[in-house]
Amino acid sequence: MSDKMDPLISIENFSEKPNKINLLTKRELERQLNIQKRKDDKELLSASNEKLEIFEAIFAEKKSYIESLIKNSRNLSKNELPDHFNTISKEILTLQKYVAASNIFLRHYDLQRCQNTLQELTNKAKYLENELLPKKKFSFKNRMKEKDVKKEKEDEVDSAVFKPHVPAIFNSCGFFNRSDETLNMLPSEIFRKDVSLENLENCIVILKGTASTLHLNHLKNCKVFTGPVSTSIFAEHCLNCTLVIACQQLRLHSSENVQIYLHVTSRAIMEDCKDIAVAPYNLDYKGVEKDFENAHLEKNVNNWRCVDDFNWLSEKHSPNWKEIPEHERIQRWQEIE
Amino acid sequence: MGFLTVLKKMKQKEKEMRILMLGLDNAGKTTILKRFNGEPINTISPTLGFNIKTLEHRGYKLNMWDVGGQKSLRSYWRNYFECTDGLIWVVDSADKRRLEDCKKELFVLLQEERLSGATLLIFANKQDLPGACSKEELRDILDLDSIKTHHWKIISCSAVTGENLLEGMDWIIDDIAARIFTLD
Repeated sequence: MSDKMDPLISIENFSEKPNKINLLTKRELERQLNIQKRKDDKELLSASNEKLEIFEAIFAEKKSYIESLIKNSRNLSKNELPDHFNTISKEILTLQKYVAASNIFLRHYDLQRCQNTLQELTNKAKYLENELLPKKKFSFKNRMKEKDVKKEKEDEVDSAVFKPHVPAIFNSCGFFNRSDETLNMLPSEIFRKDVSLENLENCIVILKGTASTLHLNHLKNCKVFTGPVSTSIFAEHCLNCTLVIACQQLRLHSSENVQIYLHVTSRAIMEDCKDIAVAPYNLDYKGVEKDFENAHLEKNVNNWRCVDDFNWLSEKHSPNWKEIPEHERIQRWQEIE
Repeated sequence: MGFLTVLKKMKQKEKEMRILMLGLDNAGKTTILKRFNGEPINTISPTLGFNIKTLEHRGYKLNMWDVGGQKSLRSYWRNYFECTDGLIWVVDSADKRRLEDCKKELFVLLQEERLSGATLLIFANKQDLPGACSKEELRDILDLDSIKTHHWKIISCSAVTGENLLEGMDWIIDDIAARIFTLD
């Protein structure tokens, strides 16, 4: 056994020197390669950040270009339209390809967002094309008529976003189907109640005191002033409104162009909203301090800046809401004086 | 011994249950969970994703999953279906406007194959609010009697006052236990 081992060892000994040098040079090489690789990685990372910014800029530019094309299509004559829609669909396709080509450095969320935008554009263009250039289909005359009628009905529904939808049962407390009025409820009427404001237009609503919860639905050009609401406010389909509200939670859905002077002790969220502006709650009336106590809301905890947008999960600020700059905020509310 | 039997045996040993809480947004899911766990409820924010709590109750280990109910989150609900023993559907009994919505979402869930074995508890929440629907009204409006695929029960409760929360949890635990721990 030992006889066999010996020659092996001697061979090893013999080749030891060149081997060590080899090893050293190899290690040195590896080290340099590693450094190079790290450097490359770093560059790649910053490059991908830059790429992302460039991508977003280009994407936004293209998007607004396509949107302007779509908008423009109503001003064109009928024989220009086929070409026009061709251009639009080509533009959308190009943009789609661009997104696909960039998908290496896009995060999953960005990709999803882009694809949604693209889908929206495609739908818009298609819808418009159907409307302006209805396809001639072979069919019997009676059928044709039926289809036309159906189509008209659909349009009506689509356009009437603010059409009241009839609830199964009416809530007893609140205001429903009013317009051009100033509506007032006494603190004793709303105390610990579930208050609903539904389908109001050009109204001013004043709810001093402490409701338990508040539902706002289908408000148009309204101003709503409330005392502290002890749990949540749920608002849906508000258009061109000013809300001066205090609550524990605010949930805002499908609303557009709403100014909110907000006191919220936990958090506010929004979903499918646009052009929302927030500022701190500044309603002052006799007994407001007491109402805050009654509602178990902390007067000095106000997270009005913490708005979570469910349609915007990026770290950047959501484009759907902003803070109202201090000099633009309304300081005094004449409506309640 | 099949895979399911192995699973059953494992669960039996730990007496563990997985309970999923769903419902429209603003129904009070997180509030129920926190109230049940004895935590303060006046700092609760709308749920951006989900909350998980492991509770010990009557010797059972309950894994409670509370998933946000916003429209944009509902499509993610199905990611939580796997291995669910009990489903708690929370209804804001005072929000009459959205009861139709509520019914629709519930029935979509009930068709889900991965939830087919689960016990269903419906919490008619917010009974502390005047004008809230009673559980009999809800049973009607939500058409609960047409549910034949699941063991179900509706219990009126208030997460704010804590009324009936324990009764509801006890029922769902008993029903699940009868199904997965006594069978062999």
